[in-house]
Amino acid sequence: MDELVIILVRGIGLGAVYSLVAMSFNIVHNSSGILNFAQGNMLVLGGLFAFFLLPQEPTVARWLLLLPAAALLYAAVLALQGYVTLLPLRSSVEQHSWLITTLAVSVIIGAVILIAQGPHALSVKSPFANFRLLGTRTPTAYALAALLALGWYAALRWFHARTITGLAMSALAQDLEAARAVGLRVRRLQLYAFAISGAIVGSAGFVAAPVMSISADSGIIYVVNGFIAAVIGGLGSNAGALIGGPLVGVAGMYAAFQYGGQFQNAVSLALLIAVLMLRPEGLFGRARARRV
Amino acid sequence: MSRWFGPEGLTERAQLALGSTAIVASVAIPALAGNQYWTHTFHLVNLYVVVAVLQNMLLADAGQVSFGQGAVFGASAYTVGLVSTLHGVSPPLAVVLGVLAGLALGALFALPALRVQGYYLGFVTLSVAMVFPELLVAFSEYTNGVNGIGLPVPVLNAPLVANVTPLSLLVIALACGALAAHVGLRRAQLGRRMRVAAASPEAALTLGFSPGRARSAAFVIAALGTSLAGVLYVPVVGFLSPSAFHVELSIFFFFSVIVGGRGRLLGPIVGVWILYLVPNVLLVDLVNYRLIGYGLVALAIMLLFPDGIVGSIEQSLRRRLQTRSAEVRVDWMMSVPPTAMARSGQSDPDAGRAEPMISVRRVRKSYGALAALNGVNLDVARCTIHGLVGPNGSGKTTLLNVLSGLVRADEGAIDIKGHDTTRRPADDTARLGTGRTFQTPRVFDDLSIWDNVLIGAGLRRADDGRGWLFQALASVEAAWREQRPDTLPHAQRRLLEVLRVVATDADVLLLDEPAAGLSAEERRDFALLLRHLRDALGKTVVLVEHDLDLVWRVADRITVLDAGTIVAEGAPQAIVGDANVRALFTGRPDA
Repeated sequence: MDELVIILVRGIGLGAVYSLVAMSFNIVHNSSGILNFAQGNMLVLGGLFAFFLLPQEPTVARWLLLLPAAALLYAAVLALQGYVTLLPLRSSVEQHSWLITTLAVSVIIGAVILIAQGPHALSVKSPFANFRLLGTRTPTAYALAALLALGWYAALRWFHARTITGLAMSALAQDLEAARAVGLRVRRLQLYAFAISGAIVGSAGFVAAPVMSISADSGIIYVVNGFIAAVIGGLGSNAGALIGGPLVGVAGMYAAFQYGGQFQNAVSLALLIAVLMLRPEGLFGRARARRV
Repeated sequence: MSRWFGPEGLTERAQLALGSTAIVASVAIPALAGNQYWTHTFHLVNLYVVVAVLQNMLLADAGQVSFGQGAVFGASAYTVGLVSTLHGVSPPLAVVLGVLAGLALGALFALPALRVQGYYLGFVTLSVAMVFPELLVAFSEYTNGVNGIGLPVPVLNAPLVANVTPLSLLVIALACGALAAHVGLRRAQLGRRMRVAAASPEAALTLGFSPGRARSAAFVIAALGTSLAGVLYVPVVGFLSPSAFHVELSIFFFFSVIVGGRGRLLGPIVGVWILYLVPNVLLVDLVNYRLIGYGLVALAIMLLFPDGIVGSIEQSLRRRLQTRSAEVRVDWMMSVPPTAMARSGQSDPDAGRAEPMISVRRVRKSYGALAALNGVNLDVARCTIHGLVGPNGSGKTTLLNVLSGLVRADEGAIDIKGHDTTRRPADDTARLGTGRTFQTPRVFDDLSIWDNVLIGAGLRRADDGRGWLFQALASVEAAWREQRPDTLPHAQRRLLEVLRVVATDADVLLLDEPAAGLSAEERRDFALLLRHLRDALGKTVVLVEHDLDLVWRVADRITVLDAGTIVAEGAPQAIVGDANVRALFTGRPDA
């Protein structure tokens, strides 16, 4: 029973981090067709931000102050990365350069972390005490990650429905050519999308830092699992991401408890292949009309 | 043009010779000189070249992103090591099992490739590359985990003559073989199909083959070569550990192709040499910075020289060498000898039958709330030109898509040449003898002009029906083989696409705005061509066209669509006075 609670609670908490990565994928993908391979390492950088700026005995006030700072900092970082990524796309010949440039950025971040911090995972202390849930002690960061995922989901929903920029971004998602034809400033909107994705992963990394693996090679784990969460939910759908993340998280946590931690990613991979073979459009995605 | 230089720079033959020389020299020179360190280094480098050559094929020819080739490489190496040390399997059987293991992993990539492509597969393969070393550790009791497996193979490392070992010969043979196989694949039908499927899956379907299968074939071929290299890794290194096959190995292979120049035969050799030799040999003290190096070099190449090192050199060569330019003219399709005419027109046992070639009954197709086709009925008679006109958004292209099977009708029935094609996949429908062109011509700039035609010719087996076409084209074959269509003006690209459809020997041609962008003179020629297709070659043509003059001049019957509904149908002179038609087009003669 205890085991089941631990698997569920931590699986959902970890899954919320995957949901956040998935939502950060979605906003960039919807506006540009780009999937940012560096998103996982950006999440780890959010954790590093907490590692460097939170003291040994952090206070809640300081934590609350640093959370928006992390979001803003990585919004700026991602906007910069977005600018670099979009550069080669100006010449219309090469439309898949982003696969390479974002992967290259991801490799560079991982390598820099390796050189600066070594191969070991870093640990971050939370200002919040653990809480008891159904009889097991649970780190608060799991709950905060879940809250953050819900918060970003609501914020993005509001943004897409109620603001002009958000509406314009939704238009990009539906038909890039048409959006360009009606005079939307496509490049600028795409940069905004990158910035928002940065705010999402930056804040997610900061909040989840106490329960996350902050190391040179964990970025790839988060990017892959985040992508799997996005695909299961239906690429582009934030509601799908909210469901897909915990699914992947709980499945992986179950595998880790039952067979050992080395199997966590293998289970995610099996999920990904199963979804792609059976329902490539995901749970909430709609099959797109083929354009000829 | 010589054997070595074409309008594109070095010919494939010259590149193959140059690449093979580099491979042989890089192994033979250190071996003959007796330098063990460099011999070993270049053994490894050339094995990596093999993997990169296949990665290049996968990426550039088949358009598939794989970040998992290192896992395929590792799976075959590890299998050889495991079965021969722990289970005492004989070497030949171990090799077979190793290749099978690599192929199995390749099949794992190929399976999703049947349904999805692009970045989806990028993530699948990346996760495999991530999971593979984890599983080696997870199954420590079978794999000896992080302690690895030592497996020296002295037989292969014993010198034959002057320090040249059997291993050196095997490495040379495999690397040169991979390069030659890449050239061979490009010249083969399968290679052309991969390139078409990569550039336009829709075009692949309308040319009668499944793009998913072409993609999967590419993954399996890549896995085969990569596994062979993995098998040789065992005697080259003599030791296996999970850390040798981390995800960074896969990323190294991918970046090698990018840095060298994707799609260039010599790209993988140059890329592996630079990315492996520079950090691992020349900057040996900075080996910790190797990963940063990979990332920075790949990023810089992508931003500054997107064609890679070899590609950029070729481009500058090409600008200097490009002198003459090929052209595509209507008359080549019209120079049909009378005998061929007779045969092609009359050998069709169904010719002259009364039933329509195409029959469409009550077809509906909606996109969301918008009904693109709203209960359309249409009969197209044999050996006629049937015009399909109507304002933008009236459903003309949707109707063509439904006919060619690219879009499935929600309701209704379609019958082509007596076969019910309502639920048939597009490639099946194409093999029945239906060819189509697109509003934006699907011309493949990575293939030579000649290959652009050949990709159509491979569709149906019967060679007799179009021997005339290749006779007519004999005089331009040499020039077309050497030139890519990116130098052709727009109108000729359209003609090239029509030519390709004619080369498929299809007897139903679905043409989507073939005259758009053509000059008045070109339109006149095109009208002649359409009549020729009907009268001399016995084709049935469905023509979607905005140029009403052209349609009224050549069509035998005309169907007018508006908002997914047929508003008029009949012979051109009969419906020219129709009030509905006039209302649609008055004031918009070019609509």
